[in-house]
Amino acid sequence: MPNEMTIEENVLYIEALSHALRDEMRHDPSVMLMGQDIAGHGGAFKITKGFLDEFGPQRVRNTPIAESGTIGIATGAAILGQRPVIEMQFADFISCGFNQLVNVAAKMYWRTECSVPLVIRMPGGGGMGAGAFHSQNVESWFLHSPGLKVVAPAFSDDAYRLLRSAIKDPNPVIYFEHKFLYRRERTDLKGTEIGDRVVGEANVRRSGQHLTSISWGWMTHRVLEAAEIMAAEGIEIEVIDLPVLSPLDLDPILQSIEKTEHVAITHEATRTCGFGAELAARISDEAIWNLDGPVRRITYPDSPSPFNKKLEADRIPSVDVICDGWRQALQS
Amino acid sequence: MMDQPANSSPSNTGAPPEVSPAAAWLDTGSDHALREMHAYMRLTREWDLRYEKMFKTGALSKWYSSVGNEAATVAAASAIEKGDALVSLHRDAGAILRHYVNIETLIPEIFPSNMNLIRQPLGGDSRERLFRLACQMLGRQHGYSAGHERSYHYNHMEPEHGLIHIGMISHLGSMIPVAAGAALSFQQQKSDRVAINFIGEGATSTGDFHEGLNIASVWKLPFILIIENNHWAFSTPTSQQYACDNLASRAIGYGMAGVEVDGNDPIAMHQVMQEAVQRARSGEGPTLVEAHVGRHRGHSEGDDSLDQVPGDELRGYLENDPMDLIETRMVNSGIVSRAWLEEIREKCAALIMEVVDEAMSMPEPEPNSDRSIHAE
Repeated sequence: MPNEMTIEENVLYIEALSHALRDEMRHDPSVMLMGQDIAGHGGAFKITKGFLDEFGPQRVRNTPIAESGTIGIATGAAILGQRPVIEMQFADFISCGFNQLVNVAAKMYWRTECSVPLVIRMPGGGGMGAGAFHSQNVESWFLHSPGLKVVAPAFSDDAYRLLRSAIKDPNPVIYFEHKFLYRRERTDLKGTEIGDRVVGEANVRRSGQHLTSISWGWMTHRVLEAAEIMAAEGIEIEVIDLPVLSPLDLDPILQSIEKTEHVAITHEATRTCGFGAELAARISDEAIWNLDGPVRRITYPDSPSPFNKKLEADRIPSVDVICDGWRQALQS
Repeated sequence: MMDQPANSSPSNTGAPPEVSPAAAWLDTGSDHALREMHAYMRLTREWDLRYEKMFKTGALSKWYSSVGNEAATVAAASAIEKGDALVSLHRDAGAILRHYVNIETLIPEIFPSNMNLIRQPLGGDSRERLFRLACQMLGRQHGYSAGHERSYHYNHMEPEHGLIHIGMISHLGSMIPVAAGAALSFQQQKSDRVAINFIGEGATSTGDFHEGLNIASVWKLPFILIIENNHWAFSTPTSQQYACDNLASRAIGYGMAGVEVDGNDPIAMHQVMQEAVQRARSGEGPTLVEAHVGRHRGHSEGDDSLDQVPGDELRGYLENDPMDLIETRMVNSGIVSRAWLEEIREKCAALIMEVVDEAMSMPEPEPNSDRSIHAE
């Protein structure tokens, strides 16, 4: 089947995900979907609405509530040539399938040289008052597990392109899609070429000479907003978005720091051992002599997500908090 | 859907089950069936005894023995064919050897010329597979994981010969869904191949046992899960592991077939497996097989966990050694003589000795901390 690409203007993030899944399923008959309520119902967020009719019950499978069993079964099928894409109903639920992911799927290639072409879609992130078990940003759990690739796109075009690449990739890919962006973010899908591997990407989304900002997912949008405010004050922020967290493309970050001599990492995940800590360590290793101040982290506190939206908003880095963090970084 | 148990068993009492006579369905070919089972069981026994000896002399740092499990595992793997998937654990050398090698090419004249084989061996080089398996056990470069993974923690695939073998990770029960996933791949491809997986009775307490079997049954996957119930999980007896009468009846709760069988009787075991494989191939879904075997060794060699097994119980297991049982049966039936059995034992032991010595002389892997974590 041809490798058709959706080309469309002003596409919602959630539609980009649907398009990517549908296009890749049309292209490759070994792609199959598994997840809770994804078949007739189309999934908790309706991303696979209509897929059952088009692709049939063999390829679009509702699973029982069994994250571990589902990931294990998908891993076994992937070893023998299927390309399963699992939808976690919420990223938080991955903890119930943790062992299958970090010990069976992640280590399989290193142990046995059998590849596991598996994608786990992870609707994650907060901002909707969904409480402690429907709001988390758990990318660090998987960045610490050798063998997994980790994707966290902020824009519809990246979401489309990277989901298709993730499905083509012969390795297990943890694909974080941000629920807050589902129906808010819109970008054109221009038919850019789809890679058949997920590789490290660090994309400069705004140029500036005073401070390098690193972020991913929803936070990149807040960072871009904050950069506008800073520009009005005469401070130009270089915004680097990481649609792929692992493998990490560090070079563009180091090159930017060479120019700006200041760096701040913004993430929605909790602080301790968040990916910001690893980025800070890498930057220290490689570029500490280029820095004119400490590496700043602007993050969620070490706290679960509260239900009340005001309480939650108080914890997620806001545009103001990000601007303040940058100002402190530039003062030091 | 619970099948009639192939053999009644006291299950949770810890006592070894009684031995049933050879199944009637094999009456015309039972001589041949016993000879075939015996050949692979003996090869497996000598395989283990060799490593056990190496462990005792310090030549090997760790060993998990398959002694006592040979009848169940050889008979189970005798029911699968080219293209089926084997997912094994650490007491399944019998299934691996049965699946990997054509013993006739390794020990010529082990079978009479008119032998009716229960299963056709896979094509390919049996000697090379046995050698690489020994290298794998010894952590050598030529092993299936090139020294990166221990003993049975490896995969081996030979698509050209229809050999699909997925090994274990240390987390017991974790491979149940993975094996069911192999069965799913067959279902997706509309093939009639099946996947079989071995676990111990301890792993039936895990969440993956429940999740894997439940999905396998809901999706009617061509999957057979064999519990090798040796009544002891490390040092934990069944009375502290589960409170039900037997594990096969758990199948009722999943809406699948469940069978309890004497795992010391390779003929009974093979019959149960053949029925299960037929059920899977014809799209009727998975089967849970509970095969009772004896606890002959500790969890691993040298860990003194066997001390926990009461003396009478242990004696019962040792007196019902499946190797002794099948040989006595063959001699009593007039199939072979004691002298012939001894000759075969010597040939198997010599073959294993030769292969293991050769593996020992092979190079260890070179340091390579950059071994890829990702498929390129």
